[in-house]
Amino acid sequence: MAGFIARRVLLVLPSLLGLLVVTFLLIRTVPADPAVALAGDNATPEQIEAIRRQYGLDQPLLVQFGRYLAGVARLDFGASQFSGRPVAADIAQRLPATLELTFAALLIGAGLGIPLGVVAAMNHNRWPDFLLRILSVGGIAIAAFWLAIMLQLLFAMQLGWLPLRGQLSVGLTPPGGPTGFLLLDSLLHGRLDILGDALRHLVLPAVTLSVGGLATIARFTRAGVLDTLQKDFVLYERAVGFPRRRMVWIYVLRNSVVATVSQIGLLFGSLIAGAVVVEAIYDWPGIGSYTVQAILTADAKVMLAVTLLVGVIYAAVNILTDLALALIDPRIREGR
Amino acid sequence: MQITRRQGGALAMASLLAARGVRAATPGVLVRSDSPPANLDPHQLFDVPMMGYALNAYDGLYRYENNPPELQPWLAEGHTASADGLEWEFRLRPEVRFHDGAPLTAEDVVYSFRRVLALGKAPASAFLGILKPENVTAPDARTVRFRLERAYGPFLAAIPIVAIVNSRLVRANEKDGDHGAAWLAGNEAGSGAYAFVPGSLTTLERLDMARFEGHFLGWSDNPSPVPRIAVRAAKETSTGVLGLLNGSIDWTDSYLPTDQVEQIQGSRVAQVAKDVSMRTFIIRMNNARAPFTSLNLRKAMAHAFNYDGFIQEILKGYADRNAGPIPNQLWGAPKDAPGYAYDLDKARHFLKLAQAEGFNPRQQIRIHIQSQLEQTNQAAQLFQSDLQSIGVNLRIVADTWANIVSATAKPETSPDMWIHWVSTYFVDPENWVGQMYDSRFHGTWKASSFYRNEKVDALLQRARGLVAQAERAPLYEEATRQVMADCADIWVYNTVELRGLARRLSGYRFCPAGGGAEMRWLQMKG
Amino acid sequence: MLVLRKFLRDIPAVIGAVIILFVVILALFGPWIAPYPEDASASHLLRRLKPPSAAYPFGTDNLGRDILSRVILGARGALKVALVVVGLAMAIGVPLGLLAGYERGVLAEAIMRVTDVFLALPQLILALALAQLLGPSVESAMLALTLTYWPFFTRIVHAETQRLRNALFIDALQGIGAGTPRILLLHILPNILSPIIVRATIGLGFTILVAAVLGFLGMGATPPDPDWGLAVAQSRTYLPNAWWFATFPGLAILIAVLGFNLLGDGLRDLVDPRLRRSR
Repeated sequence: MAGFIARRVLLVLPSLLGLLVVTFLLIRTVPADPAVALAGDNATPEQIEAIRRQYGLDQPLLVQFGRYLAGVARLDFGASQFSGRPVAADIAQRLPATLELTFAALLIGAGLGIPLGVVAAMNHNRWPDFLLRILSVGGIAIAAFWLAIMLQLLFAMQLGWLPLRGQLSVGLTPPGGPTGFLLLDSLLHGRLDILGDALRHLVLPAVTLSVGGLATIARFTRAGVLDTLQKDFVLYERAVGFPRRRMVWIYVLRNSVVATVSQIGLLFGSLIAGAVVVEAIYDWPGIGSYTVQAILTADAKVMLAVTLLVGVIYAAVNILTDLALALIDPRIREGR
Repeated sequence: MQITRRQGGALAMASLLAARGVRAATPGVLVRSDSPPANLDPHQLFDVPMMGYALNAYDGLYRYENNPPELQPWLAEGHTASADGLEWEFRLRPEVRFHDGAPLTAEDVVYSFRRVLALGKAPASAFLGILKPENVTAPDARTVRFRLERAYGPFLAAIPIVAIVNSRLVRANEKDGDHGAAWLAGNEAGSGAYAFVPGSLTTLERLDMARFEGHFLGWSDNPSPVPRIAVRAAKETSTGVLGLLNGSIDWTDSYLPTDQVEQIQGSRVAQVAKDVSMRTFIIRMNNARAPFTSLNLRKAMAHAFNYDGFIQEILKGYADRNAGPIPNQLWGAPKDAPGYAYDLDKARHFLKLAQAEGFNPRQQIRIHIQSQLEQTNQAAQLFQSDLQSIGVNLRIVADTWANIVSATAKPETSPDMWIHWVSTYFVDPENWVGQMYDSRFHGTWKASSFYRNEKVDALLQRARGLVAQAERAPLYEEATRQVMADCADIWVYNTVELRGLARRLSGYRFCPAGGGAEMRWLQMKG
Repeated sequence: MLVLRKFLRDIPAVIGAVIILFVVILALFGPWIAPYPEDASASHLLRRLKPPSAAYPFGTDNLGRDILSRVILGARGALKVALVVVGLAMAIGVPLGLLAGYERGVLAEAIMRVTDVFLALPQLILALALAQLLGPSVESAMLALTLTYWPFFTRIVHAETQRLRNALFIDALQGIGAGTPRILLLHILPNILSPIIVRATIGLGFTILVAAVLGFLGMGATPPDPDWGLAVAQSRTYLPNAWWFATFPGLAILIAVLGFNLLGDGLRDLVDPRLRRSR
């Protein structure tokens, strides 16, 4: 098992390098020139050229990339070309917010999606199945920002139950350290008031973000369970009179989660991408809105760092997913 | 009838939404939903978010106040200038202190100007060509002397751009000769009416400021100043508007969409401040490249834009028609130049003339919009619809500011047409006609029509080298008349800035330079 | 016939089919159905942002255009984007997944690593770069979507193929000397169709939605295209007041995506040989 993990981790490195190369080339093809924005409104071409030299943007592509890689190897991601702020510090400050949001959304998605999928499959082609299918499909089909605004109107404006936006009420100060995760830190500091307030702020964004994932998980669970229900061993067990309900929860679910688990792994990546819109509407201080800003200002250092970050998270989740799959389905482990 | 019904609906909705509002406001904290600057160093950036921060955290030698803007002595008590406009001397106020208690002296002013020049970023562009670092000196603790390379008319007008920083504090945080750039990007070293709360910054999202008791102006004129400011950027207009309506936001940026005004005005907790600014809306044409090398085609275009329809219907009248490049209320704008009017018959006439010169109406003309700014999109679509009716094929290209600005470096890559605003960075015709139509600025986005006229170049050059406004004004007027006769661009309107304000605030003061973001005048109840 | 009868029993699938049929009709005949077909590009300043009424059942947008007409005219673009992107992504992703799942060794490893690179590539950054290279347009958005979507097929086909590779019947086929292409196409592919179809149907909806997000960031369809996503994106500025501007194009997206997915679910049940056998 340890060998399996080590192998997977080692294999990730070339992928990440490939990711950086592709991203670097893509960003360099974009004509937008950060030096122009930095030089300001009245700058002459000479002033712009001076800034370009200062940032090394006049160097050959290979030199620029080499320098960047050398920096990354030392975990130095440089400074944002747009703001001059260190990219690593900005990301470290924002990443926990996005991860909290994404985990919460995944928790809601899996917590509701798997049982719903099982129920739908067990009632195949009867009304609970129809209803769940239409609802879950509707969940995928709904545009996140439309849903977000409707939820804001209902729960923040009409009912006044939940806050409209942000991560914490203005009057409260985040407890600070040690993890950077607001929920965790407030718990560690014993600040239940902050924890409660942060949870209230988390509800609407997490629910909005979870809807698409919930629907996907429910669908794959349903498909997986239906598949397994038709397997010979299940047909056999059923024939010998094994209680149907127990059978589903014990054997069928275990055998049908392969597709679901690999979906959850994939979903995590798409949830982080989906956070872009949700973070923008709820003013959640995560990396989603940071990335959009970087794209709009052609801030190469930030785009590269974010790409690498998403790549690392994605690879980590993938390895964990494979691990989970190997635990669930021994055939995969032995196949290696 | 229909409009009244809609208004009624909007009001009903607003009151419904506001019903639970007041409770969401935080006592003693003003919540701003405009964006904080990308970094906190006023010498690295100079844009609207930076002004919204720096006008509060820092002070300058002079400052613009009121509308129309007046240049007022601020850290300086006054200044003298030599007749040739080369020697400038500023006398500082006594007893000004920074937030850390250190006294503000001429040494800090010299350091600040030299730092701006050394960094060479946005705030430097007004000074780089005319001022050498060693020619900013401090003969004594309260006197600062500038010796310019050549006379520069807008020099005084540009003085408020430079924020004065605490030289000892910044020097102590210099690293590898970076002039403290890395440190000041996340910290503050000012003397302004509000002090940045250390550690409260999340880049582009939030920061907190607290009132500075020891500000040199004192607070005796303000019985209930805002004790604390929380900047919490709202990314989406709809979130900002909802926050304003439920009381959780006290202050928005000053670019509210005109369609939201009615609803906010109907609310019990918020209102909209409407102020005529100096921010012109322009449709650029690339004069250096076919087809816009043709004056007749440019005139056809200028007659095909529905100015009144755009201003009255789309902007609901919250803009003033501005027929030339300089804002109407500023000196240097010729009062007698008629400008162009929406007249499709005239447009057809000029189009025919252009066709006789070889313009092929089937040729596609591309207009670049800033896809983040809905108004540029609406203007382009309105234009497209009218042009279609006279047989001109306009294609809209969605683009970003960063890309367009990079493309404007050369006439070959610069778009056929694009849409933007020119804001007040300093209150001088140079900020508009000077930098937009003097061919020496070709390659900057402001001069992206690549207009070239030797007569205009000469006029602008002379105006720049003079100091007295009375001598400069006629030169700018003449240059502007010529640019308008040549129909270099399509000048549309001068902005009315719309800022959402909670009703618990009063004393809001607007100034076109900075857009009213100076918080020290505000009073807050609760 | 049996197949058709079984399909008709599946009510959600029938609903889906009806929706898709409806969307296809709109896509084909939109310009003749829409009450104001000229509103694809015209603007009417005097009737901006009017709420729904008899003359304009869905209201009018920020330039006074009839939203119903634009929703109808937008069907063609939505269908085109969805079908092209998913079709291309499958054409790239499925063969690679089959190969990587069945073969062992360097080739399989290489395919999966490349897949990982593309899967980890943030869609927005890729879309932006392409939009800059090719000019922002529906086409560059489609290319970006395709390039980031095919790995999903590869992943899922890879996982399923790997699972099947050790199955007895494959061993048997190998034993009797069946060639690799034959095993992959005739024996493995039919057995893993169901997750592919589920993924593809989700993909059709997903594509329309992501295209909307790209429009939202100014990288997809360009005005004045009657694009649904673009309309929802433009309507943001007018919310919550002009609710109809966001709602009807939003509903169009929702219903079209719903139709694809319901139909896909139904198809899945039909093509799955084991399901056919048992019920």
